[in-house]
Amino acid sequence: MSGYNKPLPLITPLSKVFYDACRDKKLMYQQCNDCGEIIFFPKHLCPNCMSRNLGWKESKGKGKIQTFTVTYEAAPPEFAADQPYALAIIRLDEGFRMMTNIVECDFNTLSCEMPVEVVFDAVTPEITLPKFRPAVK
Amino acid sequence: MGSIRGKAAIVGVGEVPTGMYPERSFIDAAVTASEMAIKDAGIPKKEIDTVLPIIVVANPLDNANMVCSWMIEELGLGKTAKSNFMVASGGSSSANALKTAVALITAGLSKAVLVVHSDRLGTGLDLASAITQFAKVSTSQEYEIPYGFSQLALAGFLQQRYMFDTGTTERQIAAVVVALRKWAALNPNSIFYQKPITIEKVLESPIISTPVRRRMMNKLCDGASAFVVTSATRARDLTDKPAYVLGIGSRCTNFTVTHQPDPQKAWAPAARDAYRMAGIGPGDIDVAEIYDAFPTFVLMSMEILGLVERGAAGKFVEEGHTSPGGKLPVSTNGAMMAQGHTGAGGGPALLVEGVRQIMGKAGERQVPNVKNVVVTGSGGVGMDFHVEVLGKEV
Ligand SMILES: [Zn+2]
Repeated sequence: MSGYNKPLPLITPLSKVFYDACRDKKLMYQQCNDCGEIIFFPKHLCPNCMSRNLGWKESKGKGKIQTFTVTYEAAPPEFAADQPYALAIIRLDEGFRMMTNIVECDFNTLSCEMPVEVVFDAVTPEITLPKFRPAVK
Repeated sequence: MGSIRGKAAIVGVGEVPTGMYPERSFIDAAVTASEMAIKDAGIPKKEIDTVLPIIVVANPLDNANMVCSWMIEELGLGKTAKSNFMVASGGSSSANALKTAVALITAGLSKAVLVVHSDRLGTGLDLASAITQFAKVSTSQEYEIPYGFSQLALAGFLQQRYMFDTGTTERQIAAVVVALRKWAALNPNSIFYQKPITIEKVLESPIISTPVRRRMMNKLCDGASAFVVTSATRARDLTDKPAYVLGIGSRCTNFTVTHQPDPQKAWAPAARDAYRMAGIGPGDIDVAEIYDAFPTFVLMSMEILGLVERGAAGKFVEEGHTSPGGKLPVSTNGAMMAQGHTGAGGGPALLVEGVRQIMGKAGERQVPNVKNVVVTGSGGVGMDFHVEVLGKEV
């Protein structure tokens, strides 16, 4: 895995919680303990009520494709060797959205609103990235 | 809340040709566009007490120097100017600059404001660096950078969902490019001057990032433009054809594309505010200068502006109504798709073109009997939506 040369996420005290959980194959999001707001990207301050009383929750990792694109050319240079690759925005069932890659599928079968589920890709010993694949029935 | 309706006007515009100009320096382009705008306005330069440069993308040092009053010295405004400050919100910088200028003038804090943009995305930055640089802006460093997002992927995301929601065809998306290229073919400042394209040519170009094809992408260019804003009273001394600012509306909604709300729901209120302030409706618009970057955004914006029903924009464009001679000309300079993408310069270029249409200075592109023009702007990955109504009469 030492050959991984694509950009890695910025690790902060907050994002470390998220990526530590990914290493254990858990997809985490936050909910405000005061107003119930579902929060992603993780934050310290609730964007709805400005409470700092936020809690982590584990997502079931199921959702639908809001939109996607399969990049064949002109990707950022670090991703050129991966072309074609599928990038998507997923609406998780718990009510948050995230950008990710769709993997383990024929890209020609992808469509908006397709059900997907999380898979975990351990790209380095420290970093595991949540990715998605078409949901297995 | 007071209305700024008709209290300020754009009285002069300037623009250098958009394209690949390795010999033209950044500052020469900025000064030339400013000189043209000031001379076009016929305003003594000592009346310009505020300069608002717009964010520069290709070169951080040029950007920093524009922040640090480079234009004040170049234009010899040091004895009379009160402020130089940058307005930076990506593609909506010009919209925010116009809003700021109108507010300063209406409040009596400025007599005349020069808004100026220059950038060298065509020759001042190699394409790989440009792709890398744009790919990392407006994305989360913690949660998105690992996945390979780019501006091209953004175009793919929006086109994919828009086609899914509305049933718009690929041919209709291609028709947007064709319509913009028809306008650009009449625009001597465009990189595609006298170079129209056919739908077939667009559709036979390869897929770059689904469902976007190569010829649905814009081209990075060098360019510069400028305009002068002053009070309506002063404007009437200077010209018999000021472009009055009749209405302004805007909404700012998100940082990343992941969290972009439904554009119709979230941004249509910006159009409503602008129309209400102007005292008109979408049916009163003669020309729409719509911010693009890529063709889907033109279609989405036409619907947000209420110029067509939701989902009907593609058919409307395909039928030729937005092309030269059509009943609703859209983006008569060719917009970024066809004039060229100059960073934050797509916005001021459209404002400059809207003013030309009002003032009767649009040459071969002049639309007859123009009374009201609507102009849009949007920054980041579609983080906001700005609408301005310009009019010939108050
Ligand atoms: Zn809260």
